[in-house]
Amino acid sequence: MTNHAHLRKDSDVLLRVEDLVVEFKVPGNKVVNAVSSVSFDVKEGETLAVVGESGCGKTTLGKALLQIQKPKSGTVRFEGNELTSLSKSDLRSARTSIQMIFQDPISSLDPRMTVRQIVDEPLWIWSKGDENERVEKVKTLLNNVGLDPELVLDRMSYEFSGGQCQRISIARSLALEPKMLICDEPVSALDVSIQAQILNLLNDMKDRYGLTLIFISHDLSVVKAISTRIMVMYLGKVCEIGPTESVYSKPAHHYTAALISSVPIPDPTHRAQRTPIVGEPPSPVDPPSGCRFRTRCPAATELCATEEPMLRLAADGHYVACHHPRA
Amino acid sequence: MRKLWSEFNLPTKISVTWVSIILFLVITGSFLPLPNPTEYDPNASGVGLFSPGHILGTDINGYDLLSNVVNGARISILIALISVGVGGLIGSAIGIGSAYIRGKLDITVNLLFNILLSIPNLVLGLALVAILATSADPSTPIDPNRRVFIIIFSLTVVIIPILGRIARGATLSWVNREFIVAARSMGMKDRHIIFKHIVPNVLPAIYAVIFLAIGVVIVAEGALSLLGVGIIDGVSWGAMIGRVAGDFTYAPQSMYVPVVVLALTVIAFNQIGDHLRSQLDSREGKI
Repeated sequence: MTNHAHLRKDSDVLLRVEDLVVEFKVPGNKVVNAVSSVSFDVKEGETLAVVGESGCGKTTLGKALLQIQKPKSGTVRFEGNELTSLSKSDLRSARTSIQMIFQDPISSLDPRMTVRQIVDEPLWIWSKGDENERVEKVKTLLNNVGLDPELVLDRMSYEFSGGQCQRISIARSLALEPKMLICDEPVSALDVSIQAQILNLLNDMKDRYGLTLIFISHDLSVVKAISTRIMVMYLGKVCEIGPTESVYSKPAHHYTAALISSVPIPDPTHRAQRTPIVGEPPSPVDPPSGCRFRTRCPAATELCATEEPMLRLAADGHYVACHHPRA
Repeated sequence: MRKLWSEFNLPTKISVTWVSIILFLVITGSFLPLPNPTEYDPNASGVGLFSPGHILGTDINGYDLLSNVVNGARISILIALISVGVGGLIGSAIGIGSAYIRGKLDITVNLLFNILLSIPNLVLGLALVAILATSADPSTPIDPNRRVFIIIFSLTVVIIPILGRIARGATLSWVNREFIVAARSMGMKDRHIIFKHIVPNVLPAIYAVIFLAIGVVIVAEGALSLLGVGIIDGVSWGAMIGRVAGDFTYAPQSMYVPVVVLALTVIAFNQIGDHLRSQLDSREGKI
């Protein structure tokens, strides 16, 4: 049973994930399917947004790509390297071309280190140049993320605000000049005004360093501003994947439609046409049979309970896993 | 240094002063112009405080109490510092290592710590000394130096789980922070992560407990002597207390002097440990 209709054959695919499964054991000999047979690909220069509500496996997926969380099965092919089967030392060096930015900017930085030490750390690990070259590099990186090196170099990380910490974190992740940046909810802990600054910064850095981004978020308005493609996840499964415009204007999955309708529109005369989802997401320990969204889906039928929907074409480059997609 | 001093409150200032005096006596005690602690004065048996030639009096056998307290500080403090130092080092290494590696090793280590901690400090120390410091032939008592070594070893075993558990708990709270995950994803080696990220963050918690542990060990050494398995014939606070325990009704000052000095020292170490811990709490709050 393959579910790969949406994977592209092009040669400029940078990351290709097939049938990735990540499981956690929980007390009582049960298994949580955090990520359940997920496949997708990312082309060079693209920004893929991964969206879904809390607990749908977005963060676990990000960590599994980096092999920080070992997947149970499936493949993660990055630049022709199969990351899941690399030895520990090969993985160490292969991983440097994928870096990650985390949700909590404060706990992303060691509170007992100065900004200089933090940004220098990746350069130190890989002995990139001598002391002076590294200091110059750190200064350039800090400049690029909009911090004045003279002011911040010797200050401790806890002296900075969340937005500034996220800038430092971005500077550190760019030090090794990675090809891909996985951003795990990088702005959800920040004020709205700061969010925009960090998103702009990420876009600038993407152009300057030729980055490919995977942007994990639950906030669809943030995602719309930055992504070229969107992948919607529900309970560890892909519901829908496609170009941002297409997914926004014509969501084919009922879950996506509900998510999009829940984004507030800052216009007092606008009357929201909500498509509410009822209830809570089911437990990932014991997911529903067939389509995992069927218990909360307005269009669910008998078929949805018996057969798991495969990804099928909804529009150009836009795929949906639903038996009864929206017109 | 002056800035550090000004941050102390009054009890901490007194405690630091007292501990400094004791440490000064540990180093210089044997050079001070005091009577020989192991020679008795036949003309002054059991004299009280402020007697001529014996400021703190003598015990029933005529040993000078001031001289004994000053010279006894050496062994008592040395036993405390060595066993807490060695025990702290071993305990922290085990605690940090097992919390970092997790898995079955961590479960086993935690179980062992809990078993050792479930035995009261003194009972554990007493059992170890009693087993190890018994000579095969009851008529020849074991060498005093060997006895000191056995006491240090036993108290080290008592300290390992106390500091090990603190180190393990502190490590667990840091090891899942995102900067550790970031370091790993940047390709940092485990030993560099431990020494550059985990140890500096865990150390403050260990410092605070080390001072409390020193107090525990000083008390334990005294108690072992009182129970007759500590240092019996040497010069230490515990030895003094053990030797004069039976003479309390004839010469109470011989009991009061070492007990008061020991108690003040333990309180001072505890106060410093508490101060460090409250500082740690307010700083962790900021992080």
